[in-house]
Amino acid sequence: MPVTKVLTAGIGEANLRDIDVYRQRGGYKQLERAFKTMKSADVLEAADKSGLRGRGGAGFPTGRKWSFLPSNDRPRYLVCNSDEAEPGTFKDHMLLEETPHLVLEGILLGAYGIGSHHAYIYIRGEFMRGAEIFNQAIEQARKAGFVGKNLFGTGYDLEVTVHRGAGAYICGEETALLNSLEGKRGEPRLKPPFPAVAGLYGMPTVVNNVETLAYLVPILEKGAEWFASVGTERSKGYKIISISGHVQKPGNYEVPLGTPVRELIEIAGGLRPGRKLMAIQPGGGSSACIFEEHLDLPYDYESLAKAGTMLGSGAMVVMDDTTDFVRAAHNLARFFAHESCGQCTPCREGGDWLETVLHRLVEGHGLQSDIEMLNRVGHQITGINLCPLGDSIEPFLLSVLKRFPEQFEARVIRETVKA
Amino acid sequence: MDLVTVTIDGVQVQVPKGTLLVEAAKLIKREIPVYCYHTKMGPAGLCRICLVEVEGMPKLQIGCNTACTDGMVVHTQSANAAEGRRSVLEFYLKNHPLDCPICDKGGECDLQDYSMAYGQGFSSSVDPKVPKPKAVDLGPTIVLDEERCVVCQRCVRFDDIIVGERQLVLKDRGVKNIIATATGEAYRHNFTGNVTELCPVGALTSKQYRFKARPWDLRRTTTSCTQCSVGCQMHVDVRHGKAQRTMTVTNDDAISDWWLCDRGRYNINFYDHPRRITQPLYKQNGEWIQVGWDDALQMWATAIAQGVKANPKTVGAIGGGRLTNEEAYLLSHVFRAKGVQNLDWRAGRQRQARPGRGAGKLIDLENVNAIVLIGESPAERAPIMDLRVRKAAFQKNVKLIRVGSYEQPYPPPIPCQDVATVDDAVNALPQNAQRIAVIWDGVDLTLGKTMIEALPQNAQVLTYITGEQPNARGAEAMGMLPQQGGMDTSAMLAAASEGNLAVLSILGANPMLHYPDAQLVRKALENVPFLVVSDLFMTDTAQLATLVLPAKGAFEKSGTTTNLAGDVLPVNAAKSLESPESALTDLEILVGLAQQLGVDLPSVEELDRTVITRLANAPETFTFGDDRYARVASPTLGAPSTQPRPEVSKGQGDTRQGDTALRVVLQSRIFAGGGTSAHDDRLADLRPLPEAAISAQDAADLGVSTGDYIDVVLRAAQDDRSRTIHDLLVEIRSSMPRGVVALIDGLPDDPANCFPEGASVQVSNVRKAHTTMVEVAP
Amino acid sequence: MATRAEEFPALLERLRPECEEIIARYEHSRSALLPLIHLFQSHEGYASAEAQRAVADMLALTTAVVESTVSFYTLFFRKPVGKYVLQVCRGLACSINGAEDIMAYFREKLGIGHLETTPDGLFSYEEVECLAACDRATCMQVNLDFVYDLTPQMIDEMLDAMRAGTYSVVPMAQTDKPERTWKVLQDTQVSQGGKSLGAIDQPNPNNGSGVDKDGVIMIDRILAQQPRFEGRTKERLANVEPTITTVLESEDLQ
Repeated sequence: MPVTKVLTAGIGEANLRDIDVYRQRGGYKQLERAFKTMKSADVLEAADKSGLRGRGGAGFPTGRKWSFLPSNDRPRYLVCNSDEAEPGTFKDHMLLEETPHLVLEGILLGAYGIGSHHAYIYIRGEFMRGAEIFNQAIEQARKAGFVGKNLFGTGYDLEVTVHRGAGAYICGEETALLNSLEGKRGEPRLKPPFPAVAGLYGMPTVVNNVETLAYLVPILEKGAEWFASVGTERSKGYKIISISGHVQKPGNYEVPLGTPVRELIEIAGGLRPGRKLMAIQPGGGSSACIFEEHLDLPYDYESLAKAGTMLGSGAMVVMDDTTDFVRAAHNLARFFAHESCGQCTPCREGGDWLETVLHRLVEGHGLQSDIEMLNRVGHQITGINLCPLGDSIEPFLLSVLKRFPEQFEARVIRETVKA
Repeated sequence: MDLVTVTIDGVQVQVPKGTLLVEAAKLIKREIPVYCYHTKMGPAGLCRICLVEVEGMPKLQIGCNTACTDGMVVHTQSANAAEGRRSVLEFYLKNHPLDCPICDKGGECDLQDYSMAYGQGFSSSVDPKVPKPKAVDLGPTIVLDEERCVVCQRCVRFDDIIVGERQLVLKDRGVKNIIATATGEAYRHNFTGNVTELCPVGALTSKQYRFKARPWDLRRTTTSCTQCSVGCQMHVDVRHGKAQRTMTVTNDDAISDWWLCDRGRYNINFYDHPRRITQPLYKQNGEWIQVGWDDALQMWATAIAQGVKANPKTVGAIGGGRLTNEEAYLLSHVFRAKGVQNLDWRAGRQRQARPGRGAGKLIDLENVNAIVLIGESPAERAPIMDLRVRKAAFQKNVKLIRVGSYEQPYPPPIPCQDVATVDDAVNALPQNAQRIAVIWDGVDLTLGKTMIEALPQNAQVLTYITGEQPNARGAEAMGMLPQQGGMDTSAMLAAASEGNLAVLSILGANPMLHYPDAQLVRKALENVPFLVVSDLFMTDTAQLATLVLPAKGAFEKSGTTTNLAGDVLPVNAAKSLESPESALTDLEILVGLAQQLGVDLPSVEELDRTVITRLANAPETFTFGDDRYARVASPTLGAPSTQPRPEVSKGQGDTRQGDTALRVVLQSRIFAGGGTSAHDDRLADLRPLPEAAISAQDAADLGVSTGDYIDVVLRAAQDDRSRTIHDLLVEIRSSMPRGVVALIDGLPDDPANCFPEGASVQVSNVRKAHTTMVEVAP
Repeated sequence: MATRAEEFPALLERLRPECEEIIARYEHSRSALLPLIHLFQSHEGYASAEAQRAVADMLALTTAVVESTVSFYTLFFRKPVGKYVLQVCRGLACSINGAEDIMAYFREKLGIGHLETTPDGLFSYEEVECLAACDRATCMQVNLDFVYDLTPQMIDEMLDAMRAGTYSVVPMAQTDKPERTWKVLQDTQVSQGGKSLGAIDQPNPNNGSGVDKDGVIMIDRILAQQPRFEGRTKERLANVEPTITTVLESEDLQ
């Protein structure tokens, strides 16, 4: 079995919320080493060499993202994105609550790596307990001298502030997150300028996912080569996959990238007895489905992209033959329509339109024209939005519409009424 | 400047590097449609209608946020771009109510236009539209239709980055997004009307113009606004002989910066007011009788001729600040030809209009290191200039310093440092400020002089004086100032009250409302045997006249006007606007007078040439301390020479004379002043209530709070001309120093100039807010 | 007894030190907007108008800006809610694992629907988007505390315990009586005669007071003839069908 516990090591075995337990297991050693023996640039180099890619969804190489920061002496910020709300994803939730010190150490390393003196962690509003746990972790770390002024006697000040969201999926988009952190509506910003140039308070800013930052700790511990030696050519290292849906043992599983999909389903206990696999949504609510024929696909960024979908946040929702795909499509369309910030038109109007049509189909009152309409609106909505949310509505819908047209057609009861 | 070459639809164009595609396309007359983008506000990237195809880019790009790079090849009309636009438009119409037949925007609506140009012509939706509130009353000027709104957020961004008031916001989220103000609060500031023009659809409409006309019904004239001394360029649209609306001129970068204030936009409904004077009126035995123009002009000319014959020093004229340059010139020309030197344009608090050396243009305000506001700020006297000041401070990082102001603070987004004294202002200047703009009100000459002289010697100083009267600068340049021993306004009034003025002609001025001592004006004017007043309405000044001449207003005449920055601007009569038949322009009136008096008139060409020459040769030197101003210097300040640097104190120095006396200061409000505002019924909601702004300490001493009503009465012990203003709304204002009360100047029903300038007053008859009236049964 | 609004100044003074501490955490004061609203909501049970105004004052913002921001986030309640806010996950993973049944059970047990509060003011019920606990589907939050692996039996026990006051999660502060829903719908503006916002005292430019001859608010009448966006339920659609059938039949008879 390829399950390898790196970040997940110790979860469920020890109380990692306790800084003493975490330190007994080698915690904060890398932070100390980095501050005492490494330059900021060394941390950046390690991140770059490890081939670590953003674990939040976009999969952008972390080292490269950091390197976009301009070399000026304006204050710069590291923001940890813990606004995990992508349907099917629950890895950051676990990391935040179960091993907060690892996340904190990762944030501190990241901040040091980019030369930031103030890091923020944006925690989804619903994770009230998670925010409490993380605040405690910061206080413990502050007492131990890992947060605050003059860390390890190097004269380096580093503050970490927890910022709680208040219920908006779109704040997971990095510029919307920055707006929300600035006390504004969580509406994505127009780019350029990119956050690396003008982010939080108009200053150079890097926004990284919880998991991404947490991986900095083992990368520093075991070396960039260790991390880069796992995975595939361009998808290196480990990844926590959140597997849910119709599997017998849903949960977070940490595996090397490139593990075949079939194996992942087996790790999660396989399907329920007597059930047949119908579809897998491999990368969160924004990804298109893969099907039976893709079971041997390696679970990595490139292979999934080649199959017309994406790895995204690494959230696999497995659906067996009990699934009503019209309902599922409506479920996700409703989600995106509900979470659209509404500032740009195709997403605001189109999302609501798809939701309306799908609702009609779910209720069994479909019109003949509805299926064509779904195709049409789905295509029309894509590729012309300000942020990725608008483009996320179509993939799942169109993939299941193409695969299971009969389920949709069965809901059509009327000829189209045209005036 | 780096130039790059881009090819748009096969046409090459050279533009500065970084130019946005949408602007580059305009240069070669290619339209890239936009809703959210606005030249003055930049890209927002929300509407997605400006999609274009850029060669080498996989996805369609938005033209509003794509900067031109060298060699870029752009297609605005390719199949891909057209398909993208068609898609976006279908989404726009998904929930749009399509109530074009009853929509004010119909005919000039971007949604209509783009749907025709780029839309598919049908909707594939069979679903009901999302209902939203219609005809939402946002405040005194604006009505909002949420269903028509395309959420481009132009109005929201206008309120945010242009005005800084942040009253209009977006509420809710997603498809339920609506434009709104804070719960229970009205949309109200000096620039609200602009959102109706910014709105690309009919969501935000003007209450005044609602259901009044279609664009093709309107007859358009482009002119200059003469409500204040800024002189914004604007279009006047007329239907049924009535000015229906005014619109901004969207290439007027130099003056209006594409905006109009609400006074300029909405104060247009007085031309057909029933109380407009339509005939020359002569007062006989205390009764007004209508006379013909010939008789009126003859009487006037005879009076002047007799007066001059007796003694030219007993004849005088006041006016010009509200007239055109040509009229002001003719006014001085006719009287001077008869040997009259008692000429003055000043009829209010302002003493000086010409800033002299260092006169700046409005656009220069964006390129200075600091702006110093002293005296009354332009906020209520020259609103569009104020908007430019806000722009400089908010967008161009110009340091804004306000000295000793009694006014409301600027809204938080506008960084403004309030300081108490001239010295503090100098200390607050940025290091090595090379260019400094000073904006003052021309009222307190000592103050302006002190401020300008205190500035660093090596810095370039630009001076601006916000005028009480729109053409004060023009009137000055045209010679409406006393010369060769002539008397200025205050001397004329003093002479008149002694019975030493036989004939006084007042053209386009209302000293009874604006001169800072109405008692003195009344006494003076009542003692003038032959007083002639030309005006649109029976003002308090006109009531005292012997002869009243029906004049024409700004939309009814042509000529030029000079704004506070010295720009000479055209004034054009609005086409097909109906005026009272017997009203004449002041130019016509003066020509008639000249003929009666036998004064030679210049030809039209000569008049034009003279006006231009005079403006060009206007002496550009400072005139502070000049004899002709010294005499009218503020009575409270004494002679300028004895007080080299007066303290403009704020929150310090109790100026009270024992007990609870308060010193009066007057403040302008854009909707307060004058006959045009008083006779515009549609402005009722905008006119300010008479208020008294005082400091928190004084309020505590007096036992009043914001919202209470008080009466203010002149301290009888100090002055026997006891007067009272009733029912003033109390406002506690943080900027007020102790012992001072600020009253609104120029409210026709409650003229605050009934007190002499700097008078001491007492508060009486305090009534608490929300007192319940209890009805007692008999 | 003093009303919540009367007690607010005292609350504000009590919380002011904490507010100042929150503002000091950030380089720019406006960042404190969300935490401050969270703070007031935790004491008042919802983000009251007074709290929003107070936050606007503290951060030198207009009330409009605060209201705008607050209205964007679903976890800020702009009207009072029940003591227990039951937020059941309707995300995809929960949905295919029986969340539809769980939600139906809740609705039946509570007698209320999505975004509604029980008349006794105890429960507010909302169906929310994915709560990031898909491995423990079906899940929910009670006052933002997670409850996993829901079954009808658990729901019964939970509701009983809440009614008896023995449930482990602390009830929310409740300083005002909740209405049927806490959502600020655009329809509420409509019910004020098409007037809203700053317009309460202003005459409606369309038709005097916005009320037609029969005393019906005109916009209400217009809307009543259209299906509402909010009320698009199975029940309502089912009602539409028979009408169409009837028409067809009667035509057939002729």
